[in-house]
Amino acid sequence: MHPHNVGKMENPDAVATEGSPACGDQVTVYLKVDEDKHIIEDISFLSYGCASNIATASIITDLAKGKSLDEAKKISWRDAMEALDGLPPVKVHCSVLAADTLQTAISNYEIAHGLKEVPNFSKDTIVAELKKIIYPQVGEDIVSLKMVKYVGFADGEVLIDMNMMNFDQWRENVAEEIREHLEKYPEVKNIKINFP
Amino acid sequence: MKHGRIYLDNCVTTQPAPEVLQAMQPYFEEKFWVPGSFISTGETINDAIEVFANTVASAIWAKPSEIHFCSGGTLANNMAIKGLAAAYGKTGNHVIVSVVDYPDLLTNAAYLEKHGMEVTYLSADAQGFVNLAELKNAIRKDTFLFMTTAVNHVVGTIQPLAEIKAILDAADHKIYFHVDAGQAFGKIPLDVKELGIDTMAISAHKIHGPQGIGALYQNTGVKLGQTIHGVKRVDNLQTGGLNIALIAGFAKAVELAFTDFAATTKHLREISDYLLSSLENKIPEIELNGPRGAKRAPHNINVSIAYIEGEAITMMLDAKGITVATGSACASQGLKANYVLMAMGKNHVQAHGSMKFTVSKFTTKAQIDEVVTELAEISKELRARSPLYSATHKEK
Repeated sequence: MHPHNVGKMENPDAVATEGSPACGDQVTVYLKVDEDKHIIEDISFLSYGCASNIATASIITDLAKGKSLDEAKKISWRDAMEALDGLPPVKVHCSVLAADTLQTAISNYEIAHGLKEVPNFSKDTIVAELKKIIYPQVGEDIVSLKMVKYVGFADGEVLIDMNMMNFDQWRENVAEEIREHLEKYPEVKNIKINFP
Repeated sequence: MKHGRIYLDNCVTTQPAPEVLQAMQPYFEEKFWVPGSFISTGETINDAIEVFANTVASAIWAKPSEIHFCSGGTLANNMAIKGLAAAYGKTGNHVIVSVVDYPDLLTNAAYLEKHGMEVTYLSADAQGFVNLAELKNAIRKDTFLFMTTAVNHVVGTIQPLAEIKAILDAADHKIYFHVDAGQAFGKIPLDVKELGIDTMAISAHKIHGPQGIGALYQNTGVKLGQTIHGVKRVDNLQTGGLNIALIAGFAKAVELAFTDFAATTKHLREISDYLLSSLENKIPEIELNGPRGAKRAPHNINVSIAYIEGEAITMMLDAKGITVATGSACASQGLKANYVLMAMGKNHVQAHGSMKFTVSKFTTKAQIDEVVTELAEISKELRARSPLYSATHKEK
């Protein structure tokens, strides 16, 4: 295994860490950005996780290196997966984590340099997070698969109605992922996930 | 790769011994028959099975008539648990098992629950020992079955079977005692009579026998309801055909393992002790999971390597020609951290970074040296790029 762009960066212009050791994968992405041209001059990563985690993080840094921020913002987990000639469904979430970390790093840079406002937390934020959760059986996100029936947000309380049968072996796994993705927002005080 | 593959996943399956292959050969060739009476071909097989049953029985101090050959440990567990439930249990009755038991026991417990029985799941301590105080309290008037895994399949913890039996005997009614001995058979002495075991599952391919054959010990007088119906060829519990060559191989493997049992287990203990001390000397921030010393099965070493993830380690070792196992969620079918380690109170990072090495009589110290050297190298590389490591270790 020879991943590219590995290692901690000294004095990065932006950094982001996503994932958690509890789920068994965590990625940190460092960016060095040309302030005038808004081009990613250098990028590196650290990874705690399986081989797919390392590979997807490596490929995402290859894809982003030398790109403008606007170009890099278009890099998705599907691009990373294609560049790797596909991933088994159960490993697609690794690719989502890598792309997500890159996007958070870019967003952190933009906020720090006054290029964008801190986005308001809303129902859309929740849906955007749910789109990053992969159903491991088929390797597609739970929103595209119409597994999310209802999303509500009021007074810090998130309510999600899921459309997953009780014999579905991934229910617990998906619920855990949802919590992990939403708990990082200070606006979220409580998460309620209902299954039929 | 300098020489052949180094295989350290012997708790899953072992390499069949050459003597075992030789013992099976005649039953694939000229003696391919099935058991029967009146006709010499059938009688030959009958006689052979009697000899094989005797060999297997004597290894656990049982009688040959108490041995049921069947197609493996899982089938033996099923025939015993479902059989005992059919014979002695009814809706509402109570079964006790622990959260660290082998999946065969836990999935059967879930099956019994689904069919109206009640199950108590005992907790385990930080070393993987079943909580015996809980066992005492869990026993009810309608408890009819306690089951346990003699040697834990993840961390090698040897459950105190004699102490367990004493607790079961202290109840004012009979509680049947089922033991899964998949990891224990051939590794620790198992005198079923002295231990008062009612039913016990054992398997051939964990002791250098062939895959696809095992046995169920059923104490004389214990009844088992029929789970597999059909024509009786070899065994009345697992009806239908059973491969005689595999039984021959099983008996040979038992003979090899038990002829000098002390020497066999001494070698395993020496190799795994050597492995553990090498790991502890060469890799910083590594910890043993499960007990140290005599309360651990002689073939199992399970360690957690801090800050890195087991599937990556496993794949990198595989590329170097080394087979090992991990308790990481990434490597599991259900993306869950190993349930035994979690039940022992380990955290996710410890479970994801856990590596299981199980040695066999074919494992050498030279192989261990190579494995530890490679693993030390890999750990260094993975730690260099781990955000958990860099967060806790300032660069020099």
